[in-house]
Amino acid sequence: MTISVGGKLPEATFVKLGAEGPESVSLGALLAGRKVVLFALPGAYTGPCSTSHVPSFIRTADAFRAKGVEEIICVSVNDPFVLKAWGEATGATAAGITFLGDADGAFTKELKMDFTAPHLGLIGRSNRYALVLEDGVITHANIDKPGVCDISTGEALLAAL
Amino acid sequence: MLTERMKLPDATFPVSTDDGPKTVNLSARLNGRRVVIFAVPGAFTPTCDSAHMPSFVRTADAFRQKGIDEIICISVNDPHVMRYWGRLTGAADAGISLFADAGADFTRAIGMDYSNPERGMLNRSRRYAMLVEDGVVTRLHLEEATGVCEISGGEALLAAI
Repeated sequence: MTISVGGKLPEATFVKLGAEGPESVSLGALLAGRKVVLFALPGAYTGPCSTSHVPSFIRTADAFRAKGVEEIICVSVNDPFVLKAWGEATGATAAGITFLGDADGAFTKELKMDFTAPHLGLIGRSNRYALVLEDGVITHANIDKPGVCDISTGEALLAAL
Repeated sequence: MLTERMKLPDATFPVSTDDGPKTVNLSARLNGRRVVIFAVPGAFTPTCDSAHMPSFVRTADAFRQKGIDEIICISVNDPHVMRYWGRLTGAADAGISLFADAGADFTRAIGMDYSNPERGMLNRSRRYAMLVEDGVVTRLHLEEATGVCEISGGEALLAAI
């Protein structure tokens, strides 16, 4: 599917690092009956993702909650070990942001958001976008052009809500 | 499949530097030199973080005293993740080079790739350590299981050369 307002996200299984090690998480179960923000980025520890994108959602996490958002999820084509370390290093885990690893890139490909930049060592990664979802249906979609972190930031999505 | 007396295939790895993305050529680093290469399933994964990398940080000086020109860690991660992992583990300070086999091309070419989707690990590298002289593998310590770090540890390889 292509991301568009009114569309419903496909079911997907992500990997997350829990207390007992990696565990799978069903996207559908997280979205059913809830208001959720989901944003995606090219990769943990890459420049703009660490310095701009994640911090923008740390800054706005409380404001999203005040608008009824129950969970803020960051999706990246990384493994759960890298995402856990990165979530802690950026302060995003402490801010209550959930990190889900699209380890094989299947979800990202399904949304046609994947790109490859071999010179950066980024293969099958995700372009930047931010969505508001109500019961799994996209109510707001801010999709950035490749390489840009602008309308998919926390502040820009918050302003659209 | 990786074996002793094998000439390693050439490979190019992307590197993340302060001056932006660069590439390194493996054969240029191996020609006419004695190099230790060890490979891990992934940056920030438990055994790699707690055992494998620290064993080479501890033994880096002892390897140099035995005439080793360079110690290289290879992992199927992107160069951004490898750079931070190198800093956090002390590997960068210990002079260990971290090469990102971002597309797993090198790891596949030597038959060392494996996948464990339940842990979010796709096309990763089995755990091994080897001495490479003028591009030829002269000692190979390959772990049977990816979650174990015994014969592929720095001390075990050091004792064998």
